[in-house]
Amino acid sequence: MSRTRARTKVAAAALGLTFMLTACSGGSGSTSSTGGATNAAPVTLRVQSTDPGYLIPGRNTVAYDFDMAVWAPLTWIDDSGKLTYVAADSVTSDDATTWTITLKKGWTFQDGSPVTAQDYVDSWNTVAYGPNAFENSGQLAHVVGYTDLNPAGGATPTVKEMSGLKVVDDQTFTVTLDGPDGQFPLQLSQGQTAMYPMPKGASADLAAYNKHPIGNGQYEIVGDYAEGETITVKKYADYKGTPGTVDEIAFVPYTDTATAYTDVQAGNLDVAGVGADKLIQAKTDFGDRLYAFKAAGIAYLGLPLYDPRYQDIKVRQAISMAIDRKTINEQIYGGLYSPATAFTPAIELGTPVGLCGELCEFHPDKAKALLAQAGGFSGTMTVYYPGGIGADAFYTAIANQLRQNLGIDAVAQASTDWAEFYQTRLNQKAPGPFFSRWGALYPSQQNHLRAFFVKGGGCDNCVPWYDDQVASLLKTADAQVDADKAAAAYKAAQERILAEFPAVPLFDEAYSYVVSDRVKNLPTSAVGNPTLTQVVMADGS
Amino acid sequence: MSEVAAQVTSVDAEAPVRGVWRSLRRRPLFWACVAALGLLMAIAVAPQLFAGLFGQPDPRLCDLASGSQPPSAAHVFGTDRQGCDVYANVVYGTRASLSVGLLATAVALVIAMVLGTLAGYRGGWADALVARLTDVFLGFPFLLGAVVVLTAIGSRTPVVIALVLAVFIWPTLARLMRASVRAVRDAPYVEAARAMGLGTGRIVGRYVLPNAIGPVLAVATTTVGGVIVAESTLTFLGLGLRAPAISWGLQLANAQATFQTSPHMLVFPGLFLVVTVLATITLGDVLRDTLDPKAR
Repeated sequence: MSRTRARTKVAAAALGLTFMLTACSGGSGSTSSTGGATNAAPVTLRVQSTDPGYLIPGRNTVAYDFDMAVWAPLTWIDDSGKLTYVAADSVTSDDATTWTITLKKGWTFQDGSPVTAQDYVDSWNTVAYGPNAFENSGQLAHVVGYTDLNPAGGATPTVKEMSGLKVVDDQTFTVTLDGPDGQFPLQLSQGQTAMYPMPKGASADLAAYNKHPIGNGQYEIVGDYAEGETITVKKYADYKGTPGTVDEIAFVPYTDTATAYTDVQAGNLDVAGVGADKLIQAKTDFGDRLYAFKAAGIAYLGLPLYDPRYQDIKVRQAISMAIDRKTINEQIYGGLYSPATAFTPAIELGTPVGLCGELCEFHPDKAKALLAQAGGFSGTMTVYYPGGIGADAFYTAIANQLRQNLGIDAVAQASTDWAEFYQTRLNQKAPGPFFSRWGALYPSQQNHLRAFFVKGGGCDNCVPWYDDQVASLLKTADAQVDADKAAAAYKAAQERILAEFPAVPLFDEAYSYVVSDRVKNLPTSAVGNPTLTQVVMADGS
Repeated sequence: MSEVAAQVTSVDAEAPVRGVWRSLRRRPLFWACVAALGLLMAIAVAPQLFAGLFGQPDPRLCDLASGSQPPSAAHVFGTDRQGCDVYANVVYGTRASLSVGLLATAVALVIAMVLGTLAGYRGGWADALVARLTDVFLGFPFLLGAVVVLTAIGSRTPVVIALVLAVFIWPTLARLMRASVRAVRDAPYVEAARAMGLGTGRIVGRYVLPNAIGPVLAVATTTVGGVIVAESTLTFLGLGLRAPAISWGLQLANAQATFQTSPHMLVFPGLFLVVTVLATITLGDVLRDTLDPKAR
């Protein structure tokens, strides 16, 4: 179980990372057609990537963009949070526990073989099989039989298939979950790459498959993947869904995002990610060629609830009201983030926007009064955050505001590196309010609320407060199939959280990208990375 | 006879010092350096006297909404990204940089004097031991060594950084000290003192050290500048001082991301750093010129 958790964590962290780092350095091997004088020359979109290592969807940690071009997910969630079917014809359930997935007819893998229900079942079993140690296997953790494939203590499993997966016919299979979960169709969406299908025979030689992956999506790989080299994909002619727009996409690996950034400026590269610390500069450099996509990520200020000074809810509320989110957003993030108004990002369907009310707004006088009522704050408030991730300006600003608006001694302190920070937070040793964020692989309130407020949900001790009432409210919400009922139930859970106010919601995050002038429009989806298959190129590129 | 000898030695021993002073005070460059360093020292000792000169005395009073402003009447050096006054921060940052530079050099100088004198005066196995020891330390690239040690230590106060830097700069000074001590060890006045039956401690303290220390002091002065740069470099790399400490290196590191849009955040701390380093290095050069008999 702990292995599962670790994997989910890694994957989720990596998604946020890739989405933010999806940039590449130009130059090497990108054979793009510039000018487009002749119709014969293919139009290539050159995209920053990180050398992926693993391209297989069940293992990918930094190849999301590639996987989303080469594979088609069962369901798709667009940037308004709406769910549509891609490879699936329908995903239905009466009790939210047993789900029936029907596939669209006539779809083929890029090697020409048909995509069948058996392929999905086989792929999922391969991903979930413990000894394979697939990075993303945690995404299947709630399928019945997952624990049989991942016995406690790392023992070798006696079976190779999950009992919860049953093939009905070529186009249909059923999935039985370990409990009712109305959010399951969202878990089949584009960010959860473990759910992608692999063709027959792929699992027999995974190393060869990783070198030349074959998917069911809009683009197929050209040649083989070689470490550290540009990966090119070209349009798959027999794709049955919405076809890709550009002829080819080249994923150019960069080790330094700064190089990718300047390459986009120079026109050697078309799409690169921008870190949060460079947004102001990027706004100046790129103007409207800087895209900020609302992402399924939210940042809290975690509070050390094990410290008696934070026991009084008034102290916690005072901290929240002393932070001027609007000014921080403008000065640090160039106005590209959105101040949080609930415990989940607004992009997640049914998020009770505005739930937090004035507690998440800037009211320095009320904050001071609340703190005074609570008996003030003794000693230094040390805002603790991981060093080396470009978050210094943000947490320094928060510490400055707490100091000035609450009249207390507050400082910001960075850890040496991520590992030190992570361990300190996990051991409940953070010296004061701390960095606490989570990016979801599928945009559902379930993902965030589980990660933060359920023990072992993913973001361990990001909010060191595990409440039985919240857990049972979330269980009730998970069991709702109807979207409105689910929204109401998640709202009830959020209200319970608000009543205790164990953490301070700060910002709904945005993942940002810069594009060259060859790109006219860079679309996105609910997970916040660019939808490269639907890029619109400028005339004449 | 012995009185005559004593007289002669004392004249011999003190003559260079007086001569140095006479020649130093005639050099305007010396006075310029002293003035600059004196002012910086005053700022380091009592920053509150200087920070308020232009109406913004508190380096930690930051108004985020007025961040990244270029120099103006309200903020003579402008504001940084957090809306803090750059002038006040530069003034308060002086202490960290200067104290690290002076402390590290002082510690290194003490180590160098002890070991260098031991090696130079005693010779033999002590000399060999110290020589190998300095070899070991000189074998580490200075910055790399500091990076490794600082990463391992974790704590980042100015004292810790000064000590780490001292560990890596004493060998050069020690070698110089040894060479210098060897040069005077067999000087007639030292032999005379020895012949009079004076104790080793007295000979070293009274006759050897005062005559050997000149060149070492000159180089040590130059070293102060180097150490200040090293501290800024380490801090810039995120391995030196950490916020909430106020130092030039930190200001440079923070300014780097927005250099193109707000150069003033980088220019002013950079300017102070350059002046300080230039002043110490020039002072060292002046001292060396004066102490070096060939140059006189």
